[in-house]
Amino acid sequence: MLKKLTFGQYAHKDSIMHKLDPRIKIFAVVLLSTMAFLLETYYKFAIFSLFVLVLIIISQINFSSLIRNLRPFFFIFAFILLMYIFFSRNQLDQGIRTIWKFVLFIIIASILTFTTTITSMVTAIEKLTAPLKLIKFNPRTIALLIALTIRFVPALFLYADRIKDARLARLWSLKNPKHIKLLFLPLLDRIFKSASTLSDAMVSRGYTEKRISYFNIIRLKYYDYISFTVLLAFIFLILLIQK
Amino acid sequence: MIKIKNLDFRYEDELILKNMNLKLKDGCYTAIIGANGSGKTTLAKHLNALLMPTKGSVIVDDIDTKKDQFNARKKVGFVFQNPEDQLVYSIVEEDIAFGLENLGMKTKEMKTKVNEMIKELNIEYLAKKNVNMLSAGQKQLTALAGILVMNPKYIVFDEPTTLLDNKNKANIMKIIKKLNKTSKIGIILVTNLLNDIKYADNVVVMSDGKIIFNDKKYKLNNKILKKAGLDA
Repeated sequence: MLKKLTFGQYAHKDSIMHKLDPRIKIFAVVLLSTMAFLLETYYKFAIFSLFVLVLIIISQINFSSLIRNLRPFFFIFAFILLMYIFFSRNQLDQGIRTIWKFVLFIIIASILTFTTTITSMVTAIEKLTAPLKLIKFNPRTIALLIALTIRFVPALFLYADRIKDARLARLWSLKNPKHIKLLFLPLLDRIFKSASTLSDAMVSRGYTEKRISYFNIIRLKYYDYISFTVLLAFIFLILLIQK
Repeated sequence: MIKIKNLDFRYEDELILKNMNLKLKDGCYTAIIGANGSGKTTLAKHLNALLMPTKGSVIVDDIDTKKDQFNARKKVGFVFQNPEDQLVYSIVEEDIAFGLENLGMKTKEMKTKVNEMIKELNIEYLAKKNVNMLSAGQKQLTALAGILVMNPKYIVFDEPTTLLDNKNKANIMKIIKKLNKTSKIGIILVTNLLNDIKYADNVVVMSDGKIIFNDKKYKLNNKILKKAGLDA
């Protein structure tokens, strides 16, 4: 299952969402995620979910990939639901809404990562965090940190899967809590080794904290302004709905 | 030419490389061979200024790696053993461009160079693919493209075939040979497999942090291999 995890994975398609300026998409994720957590009534949930569905369709994202992204969180959703069932049964619908919010949040984040390459994301984050230079934060470092996290999340799961398989082959049991450390210690070791090689590979290819050129130049175009206006109009609409 | 003069490298209390002297000529194809722990990767990392000598010096075309790491790295590319850990960006063409961004190349020129490199290595079908979805052989080709596009004078390959199947292994070895013969790029191939040195002109054998043989390949004999712990 972990091998099929696609979280954070860009999928090349020729959609309008892929063409949008990554800064607009990052703003959209922040705004829509905030909105998702402010939703209260089922009526608003339905309209908001419909909007997200439209975004998925115009992004040409494969639904099975989205479901795969959600699957690792099913345990957390089940846990939240059980907590409500056992300790606050009269507020069960509140639990359902909380899970729904999380699902929406994951899908919104997935739309961003499915439609935006890491270099575009790095460039956008660098531009958006440029004011941090004033307090001596390097925007490139912050942007690259985020980008590498996205790049290596699937690799991390792959390493975990390999270690798990190797342990299971030696009659290891996932049910034994003592055995869990036998999964995490080699995984940590692998992560540190990978990080060390990656930093060597970056340095050997001339990486410095200062960047002067970009492979992907980002520029706001007319459809970015239109999309942002549509987004703002939708958010105002949600806020205005009384039901 | 790369000149290694009286090189010592100490890590914590252990002397890993001991008074090493070596010259690697322009356009050479040199294999550095040795058993695990013989210090060959440590030596290779000195060529790309990833490690600095504790004593002595590494001079790449008159550039002392201690004084000017950036320009030394421009001359010497480095392909690591595990391609998984050396790809920075998630899309093949973007990862290939990573080094060019660091060199400060203009976007238009960068795109042209990346496209040329992709065509040269026949990996057009991979250009827009996510690196996490590639096979080990495809990842190694992407890593190689990322180095080649920077137009280095020498390339160090650190056990580049260890994680590959036979078909990909043969493909990489042929590409390395072609780079040396056609593009006149100096190749330094670090390996512990005798099979990998078949295209090399010169062989350097290392044992316990020292060079015990440095000559033409045909002069290599079983006695030296046995001394280096490489006999079957």
